[in-house]
Amino acid sequence: MRILLIDDDEDLRNLLSRYIRGQWADAQIEAYDPLERDLPDAAFPLKSYDVIILDYILGRGDGLEWLKSLKQREDCPKILFLTGAGNEIIAVRAMKAGADDYQRKQELTREKLITSIRELTATAVERTVSPDLAARMEGHSLGAKVRIPGIKVLHMIGEGGTARVYLASREDDDEPLVVKILRHEIVLNKKALERFMEEYAMVERIQSRHVARIVSHGEYEKNVYLVMEFFEGGDLSKRLAGKPVAPTEALKFFRELMFALGDIHEKGILHRDLKPQNLMFRRDGSLAIVDFGIAKNIAAADRTGAGEVLGTPRYMSPEQVQGRALDLRTDIYSAGVLLYQMLTGRHLFDGETAMEVAMHHLNTEPPPLPAHLEQYQRLLDKLVEKDREARFRNADEVIGFLSRKFEQLPDQTLDLRQGNAAQIARS
Amino acid sequence: MTADDYKVRVAKDLEDLIPVFMKNRHKELETLRVALAAADFDQLRQLGHRMKGVGNSYGFTHVSTLGKYIEDGARSGDRAALQATISEYDDYLSKVQIAYE
Repeated sequence: MRILLIDDDEDLRNLLSRYIRGQWADAQIEAYDPLERDLPDAAFPLKSYDVIILDYILGRGDGLEWLKSLKQREDCPKILFLTGAGNEIIAVRAMKAGADDYQRKQELTREKLITSIRELTATAVERTVSPDLAARMEGHSLGAKVRIPGIKVLHMIGEGGTARVYLASREDDDEPLVVKILRHEIVLNKKALERFMEEYAMVERIQSRHVARIVSHGEYEKNVYLVMEFFEGGDLSKRLAGKPVAPTEALKFFRELMFALGDIHEKGILHRDLKPQNLMFRRDGSLAIVDFGIAKNIAAADRTGAGEVLGTPRYMSPEQVQGRALDLRTDIYSAGVLLYQMLTGRHLFDGETAMEVAMHHLNTEPPPLPAHLEQYQRLLDKLVEKDREARFRNADEVIGFLSRKFEQLPDQTLDLRQGNAAQIARS
Repeated sequence: MTADDYKVRVAKDLEDLIPVFMKNRHKELETLRVALAAADFDQLRQLGHRMKGVGNSYGFTHVSTLGKYIEDGARSGDRAALQATISEYDDYLSKVQIAYE
């Protein structure tokens, strides 16, 4: 395999070359430094490469311009475009200009790079496509086929159990958006399809800045889709990355989460699946809840929730584990589990199996916070009470507790007061 | 910063790349100082952007964090914040401990 690697940063060239050679020992990689060389001219043998890896910021050039110029040539191979995180509008423009894939540099792991190159060179490198790769390629081609008025579906960015997720853009102004396309097997499953449509209907009804904004939804040639806002700040799991966040920040995020819960509970909706992957950040740092795939109307959960166990075991409330009828205190418990993880960088309960973790929620006392976090112990205790009668009853009670207890602390006063001011300004 | 914040874990097979990486970071620190003295905010922004991109890739998340501060500080022209961040970068580079795993 031959790869042309165009990046002005020596360290990134070294790192990417190492990753590639670790996978394909005989790969020939030409490191192309745009600080020393101009845009490849017409005589440059582009055809001899299987893939070009091209950075956006080239030191003394614009990667997008280079991309457009290279893609005008008939002999141009596939191009993997690298952007900085928070630069999705550039990713959108790159895909429109002909990039075959894009990756955010800050999140570019060995595995992501290899997967991307594998996909781009699948026909050249592998005669037999693995089932995983075949599934991903099917996902990519599906995205290219679906037509949504005013929206261009660009590139698959993730896959879940029920839907494939694509980066998309609004055709008028290139605003990055996310398109979720339901898997065919789910469309054929009446109950799952109803759940997906319910997700859309509920999220649209909420209209809160703490909940993902839905742009449109519909069906195109038997493909059911949902268009929603794109979150440039990524999700909480990426921010945590197995480590704690500063207590002031953890409290700030937690407070935002409480406002979010207040808004959805007010509309009679339980989320039921709070976890770091479902808390997204916008560019301005504000937080919103996504993925209402297993959310329920409170009335419906009371009526039909008994016996049904859905959710992620690490964040499940005891009553959820038991399959009991739920009320909004289930989300309060899950939020407490998230707060513990933000403060300590660890899960509240660990176990070898999902069942073991779930049973801890029922039977095991939560571990105490480390001494330096002692001031948050009472708050946490009241969030993760196993007996929901002893738990905070709703988000407003939690917000009240935060205001009373933590506005006294000098290092948190500013954050909390700013949060209040922002909330008042928004309301 | 706590002692743990200065500890970085790097994949064993990247060990031979780290001397060049660290040399480039020290060069970068000097370039940042010169750019700040010249109030060259465009260069500061570019350098911050580069730190942001390369730090996480090698496992030096704090380099990325400081890169973001520098990029933001350069955009707003906040010299005091830039000075403080560059000093923190100097401190970090002098104390960082690398473990190869």
